[in-house]
Amino acid sequence: MKLEEVLELLKAALSGVECLIGEESGIPTVRVHPENLLEAAKKLKESGFDHVKSVTGLDYPDEGEIEVVYHVSSYTKPELTKVIVALKARVKRDSPKLTSLYGIWPSSAYLESETYDLMGVEFEGNPKQRRLLLPEDYEGIPPLRKDFKIPVEGVDAVE
Amino acid sequence: MACSGGFILIGELEEVARKAAQWLVEKTPIKTIRDWGIRFSLWPVHFTTACCGAEFAATSGPRYDAERYGFLPFTAPRQCNLMLIEGTLTKKMGRAAKIVYDQMPEPKFVIAMGVCGLDGGIFWNSYNIVRPWQILPVEVFIPGCPPRPEAVARAILMLQEKIKKEGVKVEARGGT
Repeated sequence: MKLEEVLELLKAALSGVECLIGEESGIPTVRVHPENLLEAAKKLKESGFDHVKSVTGLDYPDEGEIEVVYHVSSYTKPELTKVIVALKARVKRDSPKLTSLYGIWPSSAYLESETYDLMGVEFEGNPKQRRLLLPEDYEGIPPLRKDFKIPVEGVDAVE
Repeated sequence: MACSGGFILIGELEEVARKAAQWLVEKTPIKTIRDWGIRFSLWPVHFTTACCGAEFAATSGPRYDAERYGFLPFTAPRQCNLMLIEGTLTKKMGRAAKIVYDQMPEPKFVIAMGVCGLDGGIFWNSYNIVRPWQILPVEVFIPGCPPRPEAVARAILMLQEKIKKEGVKVEARGGT
């Protein structure tokens, strides 16, 4: 399936949802407001995208925002199996809260939990959200944020 | 304490018995035999923390056959006296490692495997690792990423040499 065809399909599937459909570095991308995320996900699921491949967080400290990216794809529709669509939503950095897509795509459970662990984005309604990779009692800035300071070691270390 | 025979013992009976047992255990023939026994019954606990566990498995396999050194991988920490930290240790796993180490009976030894055990390796300067020597008393380090099974066998021999040279301190339990 060509990129233009995927974009046409996305435009048809997401009619009625306020979103921005385009191509970003070769990947068909849907940008939505956090409030419309659940609705957009439902429409995508109806059009054949049945699982989440990865959930990532991108930190933009200058803009005060965190971008959460869902990469979705399909197993059931043969023409969509080689297509990956990015679903992006930006949340505020000081109170990053997003509605969980666990109810629509169950495969996002642990991926969202990992994003919560390492980026500090809270997903409301995710039953698996807990400390997964970090120690259970970890407190402080999530380690993958830009303002997290790792201790300087080796020759660069100052006594 | 008055006995029926009319003798009188002064002092804590348990303490005296413990001291006597300690004296006996530290004497040359018993000490030598005990150290020899420990040297050839180093049982590592199955505690795979990272990818070096594959090399550990190859060491105990038929080709390198570490069992000829008395190196028998065992499942429960209560029956083991050797712990191999196989590769990198995350902070979360470090806590588990400490618990397993505390469960093992004395005398016990720790070998740290791979550069991750030395100084983090490819995870150097990470937010989520701990060096094994920061939380456990490591006897032998094995460099390599991962170390060959021969290197693991060498570490076992080095630990045996160390026990032979320095001996093992065992607290004797006297009394009841």
